Amino acid sequence: MRTMLKAALAGATLLTPASAGVAQEKIELKLWHMEQPPHRVQRVQELIDAFNAANPDIVVTQEPQNWGEVYAKAPAAISAGQGPDLLFAIPDFTPILKDIGALTSVQDFVEELDAKHDFVDSAVDAYSYDGGVWAVPLYNMAMNLWYRKSVFQEAGIEVPTTWDEWKAAAEKLSADGVHGIGLPANKQLYTDQTVYSFMVNGGATEIYNEDGTLRFNNPETVASYKFYADMHKLSPADSTSWTWGEAEACFSSRSCAMVLQFSVIATYDSQAEGDANDLGVAAIPHAEGQEGHHTISYANAVMLLSKHEAKLQAAKKFVSFLLEPENYGRFLNMEPGLFMPVTADGAKAESFWSDPMVQKYRSQVETVIKNAENGRLFGFTSGRTFPSIAAISAQNIIAETLQNIVVNGQSAEEAVAAGQARMEDVAR
Amino acid sequence: MPQSPALAFAFVAPALLFLAAILGWPLVQALALSMQDVRVIGSPGAFVGTANYERILAAPEFWRAAGLSVVWVVANAVLQTALALSAALVLAEKFPGVRVARTWIIITWIVPTVVVVVIWRWLFSTSGGIINPLLVQSGLIERPVGFFATPWTAMATLIFINSWRWFPFIALMILAGLLRIPGDLYEAARIDGAGTWSRFRYVTWPLLAPTLSVLAVIGTLLSFNVFDVIWLLTAGGPAGGSRTLPVLIYETAFKGYRLSEAATISVLATVFLMVFAVIATRTLEKGEAR
Repeated sequence: MRTMLKAALAGATLLTPASAGVAQEKIELKLWHMEQPPHRVQRVQELIDAFNAANPDIVVTQEPQNWGEVYAKAPAAISAGQGPDLLFAIPDFTPILKDIGALTSVQDFVEELDAKHDFVDSAVDAYSYDGGVWAVPLYNMAMNLWYRKSVFQEAGIEVPTTWDEWKAAAEKLSADGVHGIGLPANKQLYTDQTVYSFMVNGGATEIYNEDGTLRFNNPETVASYKFYADMHKLSPADSTSWTWGEAEACFSSRSCAMVLQFSVIATYDSQAEGDANDLGVAAIPHAEGQEGHHTISYANAVMLLSKHEAKLQAAKKFVSFLLEPENYGRFLNMEPGLFMPVTADGAKAESFWSDPMVQKYRSQVETVIKNAENGRLFGFTSGRTFPSIAAISAQNIIAETLQNIVVNGQSAEEAVAAGQARMEDVAR
Repeated sequence: MPQSPALAFAFVAPALLFLAAILGWPLVQALALSMQDVRVIGSPGAFVGTANYERILAAPEFWRAAGLSVVWVVANAVLQTALALSAALVLAEKFPGVRVARTWIIITWIVPTVVVVVIWRWLFSTSGGIINPLLVQSGLIERPVGFFATPWTAMATLIFINSWRWFPFIALMILAGLLRIPGDLYEAARIDGAGTWSRFRYVTWPLLAPTLSVLAVIGTLLSFNVFDVIWLLTAGGPAGGSRTLPVLIYETAFKGYRLSEAATISVLATVFLMVFAVIATRTLEKGEAR
């Protein structure tokens, strides 16, 4: 018995280092993303578990972050050597990390994925500047005009396609305590997004000249702000403090007849009628004289931050896994109706269209995908991207300009001129 | 027991070292950062001397934020003290349930800030909130009001919410002061024919004044540094109408990517607060000496 015990102990002693050696060989990847709602975290975890099971030599873990903090937290964590290996991003986040030397171009990897999955060009364009591609596009979000078909029918209104029609519709719908439209005027990202959605439909897409100087102060921008301020008069009084949630609540509660939003499907389905046949979504109307409907769109992406070759390869393997059509739909549908595919095969993926919510609101989702084709993002258009866009975006100067009109009573001309001066100041 | 200065210093040395580590070192770091031109955390910066101080002291946004901070501190001090004193006077009385009331009054203070923000944001909302419908039904207003829609209404609403959150804590401090006042004094005043107001004016107030003075100093320092409620409710808006110095520091550092300029504002704010604390402490000491 004693001999057996000795043998067992000796065996255990020999096995322990060997086991530890196997454990040490595992490549550990830390993923930071900003999809904080529990059901999104849960879906990401399911995909991570599937990946880890299929790749025993790699262990991916997720650490959800907050968009409000990550701009400051990520550079600090990276400089302290505690940064993530994969970090989700929107385009204006990448110049910050690129400037502190945390990013290396993933152009070859993106080209490889493009050959396999066929990326939507605009999604890659947003991350292509300074001779490199700085993140891998993962999903798209585009702003749309949401309304109830029954409300339009009762008021005898057709879906507006121009600004004049849009204003007339909003005025007609403003009755009996209902606001014809809910537009934000907070100094916050949502307002940046809605204002820019007006600007791209008013011919004010570019905020930079080719040489990097600013061209924000131009007649098209002024006209866009004037029209926005006019429409904002039909919005609730507290919209100067709105973020996305308040707009969705206003639409769900029928207090707002129309809103501009990436998607209202989730709240409409859970907190309002949930009648898919009545939920209308359309492209954002354009100014008279302009052609085509445009919108703001965000191609969200993932940055690969590890400088360690084995970790970098493992991170690429994980990203490739997410973009495989059988996984990609499940990834996008962590929030059905909000996150749209950025690859051609993803747009056809069974895993995307088989989701019950996507099936229920299929026509709306198809419209959103179509609208996203004409998506633009301020500071990331025409292949001209300048580092100052990070500060301009982070300080919400587009929204601040609007507040100067609707809160401080400045004229659109004064506010836009002041907006350009502020942009020049933060760009210094 | 022999009284040796060296021994006394040895006893307080660990505490001093601890304070130096957790307060002194960050202050030195902030001072050093304020004399560089660091923009993003982790990026290098060059020495620029007092250039940041010159720029900040010449910036209208800094003085506007400093002015709003003064408004914020004074208004909160007045409102919180008024609410707290009223509550403390009630809680000092004997009535059924007073023990429960003394315990439960603290609840607004222990609720997490984010919960407070969500509750009040919803209550004040024009879409589904209950305050606007109540005001409309009572005839006080004709149509829903945007409490965060204009700079002055936003500031007033924030002051109300912050005071609502903090007054129970101050009320308990005042209550402790009230309960220390000997009952004999009230009894003597009553025998002398003093009414309720006279007893308050000539007994309660003079004996409570030292407590209120200390609370005024502590409250000012705490109120000045409030960031969470303002940031979560208005983010300093609308149009900068509630951008106090802590909000400006955060915006400059983490939205404007000018870490050194933010450190400069922090150093200036610290100097203001230290000057205030020194003056207030000396005034209190003089008051006690008298």
